[in-house]
Amino acid sequence: MAAQPKAIPAEYPSYLKGDPISWLNTIDHKRVGVLYGVSALFFMMLGGIEALLIRIQLFEPNNTFLSAHVYNQVFTMHGTTMIFLVVMPLLLGFAANFLVPLQIGARDVAFPRLNALSFWIFLSGAVFLHMGWFWHHGGLPDAGWFGYANLTERQYTPGMAIDFWDIGLLILGVSTVMTGLNFFTTIVTMRAPGMTYMRMPMFVWSILVTSILILLAFPPLTVGLIFLFMDRFFGTHYYQAVAGATPILWQHLFWLFGHPEVYIMALPAFGMISEIIPTFSRKPLFGYPMMAYSLILIAFLSYGVWGHHMFATGMGPVADATFAITSMLIAIPTGIKIFSWIATVWGGSLKMTTAFYFALGFIVEFTIGGLSGIMHAAVPIDLQQTDSYFVVAHFHYVLFGGVMFAILGAFYYWWPKVTGRMLSEKLGKVQFWLTVIGFNGTFFPMHFLGTWGMPRRIYTYGSGMGWTFWNQFETVSAFILGFAFLLMFINMLRSLRDGEIAPADPWDARTLEWSIPSPPPAFNFVTVPSVSGRDAFWARKYGTGSHGAAAVASAGDPPNGEAEAIHMPEPSFFPIVLAAGLLLCGLGVVVAWWRLIMAGGVILFLSIIGMAFQYPTFGQHTHETEAASGGGGEDLRKVGLWAFIGSESVFFATLIATFMVYKSRSMGGPGADVLEIPLTSFSTFILLMSSLLMVLALAATQRGDKTWQRVWLAGTVLFGLIFLGDQAYEFTSLYHHGLGFTTDLFSQCFFTLVGFHGFHVFIGVVWLSVLLVVSFMDRLPKSRALSVELAGLYWHFVDIVWVVIFTLVYLMQKVKGA
Amino acid sequence: MRARFAQRKLSGLAPLMLALPAVVAGCQRANPPMNTLAPKSDYANWIYSLFVEVTWLDLFVLGIVVVAFVLAVFVFSRRAGEGEAASETHTDMRLELAWTLGPAFILLLIAIPTIRTIFREEPPAPPADSLKVTVIAHQWWWEFRYPGTPIVTANELHIPEHRPVWVSLRSADVIHSFWVPALGGKRDVIPGQVNHMWFIANTPGEYYGQCAEFCGDSHANMRFRVFVDTPAQFAAWEKAQEAPPVQPAAGTRAAKGAAIFANSPCTACHTITGVSKGYIGPNLTHLASRTTIAGGIMKNDPKDLKAWIENPVGLKPGANMPALGLRGPELDDLVAYLGSLK
Repeated sequence: MAAQPKAIPAEYPSYLKGDPISWLNTIDHKRVGVLYGVSALFFMMLGGIEALLIRIQLFEPNNTFLSAHVYNQVFTMHGTTMIFLVVMPLLLGFAANFLVPLQIGARDVAFPRLNALSFWIFLSGAVFLHMGWFWHHGGLPDAGWFGYANLTERQYTPGMAIDFWDIGLLILGVSTVMTGLNFFTTIVTMRAPGMTYMRMPMFVWSILVTSILILLAFPPLTVGLIFLFMDRFFGTHYYQAVAGATPILWQHLFWLFGHPEVYIMALPAFGMISEIIPTFSRKPLFGYPMMAYSLILIAFLSYGVWGHHMFATGMGPVADATFAITSMLIAIPTGIKIFSWIATVWGGSLKMTTAFYFALGFIVEFTIGGLSGIMHAAVPIDLQQTDSYFVVAHFHYVLFGGVMFAILGAFYYWWPKVTGRMLSEKLGKVQFWLTVIGFNGTFFPMHFLGTWGMPRRIYTYGSGMGWTFWNQFETVSAFILGFAFLLMFINMLRSLRDGEIAPADPWDARTLEWSIPSPPPAFNFVTVPSVSGRDAFWARKYGTGSHGAAAVASAGDPPNGEAEAIHMPEPSFFPIVLAAGLLLCGLGVVVAWWRLIMAGGVILFLSIIGMAFQYPTFGQHTHETEAASGGGGEDLRKVGLWAFIGSESVFFATLIATFMVYKSRSMGGPGADVLEIPLTSFSTFILLMSSLLMVLALAATQRGDKTWQRVWLAGTVLFGLIFLGDQAYEFTSLYHHGLGFTTDLFSQCFFTLVGFHGFHVFIGVVWLSVLLVVSFMDRLPKSRALSVELAGLYWHFVDIVWVVIFTLVYLMQKVKGA
Repeated sequence: MRARFAQRKLSGLAPLMLALPAVVAGCQRANPPMNTLAPKSDYANWIYSLFVEVTWLDLFVLGIVVVAFVLAVFVFSRRAGEGEAASETHTDMRLELAWTLGPAFILLLIAIPTIRTIFREEPPAPPADSLKVTVIAHQWWWEFRYPGTPIVTANELHIPEHRPVWVSLRSADVIHSFWVPALGGKRDVIPGQVNHMWFIANTPGEYYGQCAEFCGDSHANMRFRVFVDTPAQFAAWEKAQEAPPVQPAAGTRAAKGAAIFANSPCTACHTITGVSKGYIGPNLTHLASRTTIAGGIMKNDPKDLKAWIENPVGLKPGANMPALGLRGPELDDLVAYLGSLK
């Protein structure tokens, strides 16, 4: 074995060092990752206990251990918790956060404060979901993790539980989208010099693709939750048949999010496996290009398969057949991955560690889950199996046998890097075998129960159904599985207390995170590494890249002077304060106490302002100068904004699609006839002109012309205000014509869509006004043209959305009416 | 060396060896009443044969993966520190092409019969000569109507064998799902939408069904039964259901119970033809002709009926039927009356 690279001198302390308070204001990606990890482990215990409660209740027929009402809460929270509070935070919040910057040779993520904000908002969302517990009329959410409308309407589920669920998921969604945006920007702009896309570690690839999935998949969920919120609080009828609407809309929106969500959880797991297997086989990953392309293909296909969750709803044979085909196609890239992993092991020199055990276990268990998935793609079979225990078996083989095995493997693999201590391999292998036995014993018999007709989500069953034996078998196995997790916690605690000190590279691994000490210093790399092939660290150690070409070894021991120049951004308390404000706001809404909403709003507003002005170089990211070292040369703020615009496009597309579907189902009400074309034509003209002024403002900034910069910026703001004034006038006059928000389906969709657009214009006006103020303070010179460009990008986007709305909502209505 | 390999192989196969007896034991158990693998209609048969085909193909693929896996881990690799270094092979065009096209071919084998079955099971219009049945799902019980006849019943559906049955599904409140595994796949019951399914039952008997879409507190208690009758049995049943309700002889307990019923809040929700017109709860005109009550979770005998009337919400969480506080002889009279409604 080659010599370890020289360690960084001891005067650079580990990222873990520091007083407890420093964890509250940290913006270090590794610390944020650890915060995510610790929270997720807590929720994992909670979700695991919920799972065991489910299994105890189903141990025998007609059991009365839990009442129906409590059981429904328990299974709802088990699903919601495991997906949103355990798997996603472990994969993205913890693993991606900790590893991506290390693997791409960066000192942090693109937006470190946003990253901390993601965590605190995640935590407040997680707390929020459970708040119903503390209220007399609350209780935990009880409509299932996919909360099918119209059961979730106030008429059928009164009380606050669903309100906490709805707003809790909205809060978690905000956090997740910010995380997706952050990782996307990080990977696109901050890769070490020489790390092209085709040289990135496969885990980084998986996070890149997952980030895109997040950005494009969460908006439909957000829209669906907003509709539910409006139905429950404002009396709209988005999911109620009485008004001509259909509860199926929720299913479309939810699964348009929900299926990509499956891959949001699966792809990072694939990435982890693709790191663990090569390391312990001591071979490069087999078929790297195909592995990367198959990730992209899976992500692409995942948007076209949501209907396979809805075969029983009666979409008709053509839709059923289409979704069947697209769903089956996903098996092809997935198969490529399975066989490539096996080919990676083939001919290797295997080091049989616990991490490798879990990765190998993953291959077999996940294959079983994938194959039962193909059965569900075959529509007629699905009609028997959906909503039965067969489907419960299927997705647990995917999410536990697949994703959780990968997470456990990753846990044993990267724990030394995170903590600087080794875990007990002996205990780990005991845990592995108990997990295999407990997992298969719990979930394999569910295939039998499903084919024998046991529906899912039933709190009890009769004694003559033939289901008793396997339910008892599963419950016993579930406790074995629970015990395996207990061993993991014991292993962790033992390791932290007196585990063996971990070297920088305990596994003789291949990627850059192993080239720095365990645990790493706060700034990760003393000198930013340069990369000339895949498996950069392996190449540095052994002199050959994965192509057999010699790789340039980067300097081992940097000059001390260079290291001292590392400047990391200031920690910030604003993220935690902002998240607390959000929590209070949401709570105020649910309990209908407007003073709480106000208090939360004030905190929210002040912390946003505080965050904006925290750094002396207002509007300019401190990181820009010292951290954006590699990548494609794009400015990270610009990339981030484009990612945001991409996500927003899906948001508006969802609102527009809902409008288009519902306008013709509207019953009664004046409908589109009352829309005033001349007025809105004028508004449209004004908004388009404002885009022109925006272009002029940017041009003036770029040539350093302060006067015209101010004139054009002021003009843009003015035109935006005129547009908003027009809209206010329009809404008022519509109201007087009898078109209120909840009048009919048409009006609620119209006001929601146009209102959300108006809100975006308002945000744009605020943004431009701030720029105008900055301009008058003489702090918007030529060198800061990017700030104007970014505002301009957003402004143009909002204008383009308006053109689409004007065409579809106003003009087409009139044409049809004529 | 070889022995060590063998040992490793055994330990790797341990979970499979554990699962095998379990599978065998599973298959030997008595036929569970909601078994999807015992089809009793043409529709259920189509699904079953597709299931069998896909299961074999799945097992074939799983076999390939497991064999490749075992060879890779236990045969064609070394342990770290043993012998020469790992191979550096990381690409092979022919292999990669094979594991792209191979699965695609297998998927084709699955897709063709799948699509054929989809179009077969979802015809645009009811087959000629079909019996039309309307199913109305309520939280948490099933109402069955036979259009063109006055028959309205609950939780027990009677149909004749060897005749197409065209089922129209409606919901009174939230989404439910109609599922009788022996007769075919699920079809969701969605408010504001009428869904259809059809099948031809081929074996007389009693089949269990249950709501398959989570619909609130008592989702688990929303069960029902389908009785596939011979044509003669079905005709007799139809005739009995179309008859007016039994009038109890004067002076009997049932007659007293009839008076109690007619003057009680029961009438607000329940219909007995000629007596009351409530429509929120099940129609009771021929209650005694049914074998179960309370969404199929209780037997239809005086003891269970009494327990049910005394405490509906306790027995079926969330049930809309209130406890009316009837007790003693009054309750016995009422139960006697209800028990007489053949």
